[in-house]
Amino acid sequence: MTTKLSVEHLSAFYGPKRALDDVSLEFNDREVTAIIGPSGCGKSTLIRCLNRIHETQPGARAEGRVLLDGADIYEQDAVEVRRRIGMVFQKPNPFPTLSVYDNVAAGLRLNGVRDRNAIHVKVVESLRKAALWDEVKDGLMAPGVRLSGGQQQRLCIARALAVDPEILLMDEPASALDPIATAKIEDLVFDLKRTYPVIIVTHNMQQAARVAERTAFMYLGKLIEVGVTRELFERPKEKLTEGYITGRFG
Amino acid sequence: MTGVERKALTESLDQLNENMATLAELAKVAIRKAVESLEEGGKAEADAVFTLDQEIFALKQEITRRCVDLIALHAPVARDLRTITASLEMTTDLDRIGRYSRDIAEIAREIAPSASREVRRMDKLAKMGELTVRMIDLALDAFRHRDAEPVKNMIAEDDAVDDLHDDLFRELVARMADRSLSPHIGAQLILINRYFERLADHAVNIGDHVAYMVTGQRLTRVKRPKTGLPLGPQY
Repeated sequence: MTTKLSVEHLSAFYGPKRALDDVSLEFNDREVTAIIGPSGCGKSTLIRCLNRIHETQPGARAEGRVLLDGADIYEQDAVEVRRRIGMVFQKPNPFPTLSVYDNVAAGLRLNGVRDRNAIHVKVVESLRKAALWDEVKDGLMAPGVRLSGGQQQRLCIARALAVDPEILLMDEPASALDPIATAKIEDLVFDLKRTYPVIIVTHNMQQAARVAERTAFMYLGKLIEVGVTRELFERPKEKLTEGYITGRFG
Repeated sequence: MTGVERKALTESLDQLNENMATLAELAKVAIRKAVESLEEGGKAEADAVFTLDQEIFALKQEITRRCVDLIALHAPVARDLRTITASLEMTTDLDRIGRYSRDIAEIAREIAPSASREVRRMDKLAKMGELTVRMIDLALDAFRHRDAEPVKNMIAEDDAVDDLHDDLFRELVARMADRSLSPHIGAQLILINRYFERLADHAVNIGDHVAYMVTGQRLTRVKRPKTGLPLGPQY
């Protein structure tokens, strides 16, 4: 398994407050990595540093290196980094005034694609990859916000996929969804990992166990343990991990 | 997992621990009663073993149901999960101990009273029984206190039972050969000898499950050199 993304001694700050403390870990190609930990442990901050969204907040900064295919993303154009490393957020956030179709096409247009045929092919392909095509193909011009919560989340995934990312980051993508919509997202993650490495932040440990090959546990801004998911949930090495996943704290 | 969910899981695991301790105690009594039934040749001792075997089986079924409920309702992980899977495995071994004790008691009833004298004279069967009970005690102690230390040397204890088994096997064959023991009684005692050796094997398995439950690691098993029994290793 080749390493797609390496994090080296990464620390992140909100003003003077350190939210991430000297984290180093690697993410493999075509594999799902789950990041778990109690609220405020830094897991969302970590993935927001992986595509340089963290630094868009006032007073926020990061130190350390994040290597995509061996090259530090902090020495590259931030907009291009965000295209190569797509992100899906906890709450579905389709563009409220745009149709289903235009929501997916928006990223392409922002990246300068003008060929209408090329855009159409990409929109259809992305909606299919996001397992949404069959549900929206007869209503492509309807507003994206009219879709159900689960459909909106898959629309956001389609939007992220349309610009051909190399990695997909997901920040609690199913936390606002019912079990059926959650299962569809998890099925989708399972399919997507054949093409992309997926890094998913989740509060739901069963979800991590179901979808991820590897799981990382964070606590108070530090990476406590990372390993094969089955081993981490069956025999964790660290007492902190054991305490958290068995519900003894957190 | 919320505080309420953790509390419910902890209460169910406590109940499981109590059931497992009871099951192990029943298995120990079954072994002791099986030895008594051999030495005394009485119907009452054999009947007691039959009853114990039924109780062990019923409790095993109850524990299995409880474990399935725990997995279905609480999705346990880490040590909680290992406790449940180890308990499931241990119930199988403890149930087999009940079955072997029953098999021994059945033969004891058939060959009494003439074989009882032989059994009392050859104390190796009783020693094997006591060693096995001790091994279950160690495993139970480790299970209760979540400390793998007591079961670390269990493989060596099993070797002692194996040595007793091999010695007795040779003795029985020799006595049948020189006609000081009838082939009928001798054959039955060879079977019983084998059952005691298997009882100890199950006790080792239980120790192994407890070690895994506590540490996440299995006991290290070293292959024992062949002893050169007359009927070869497949006996």
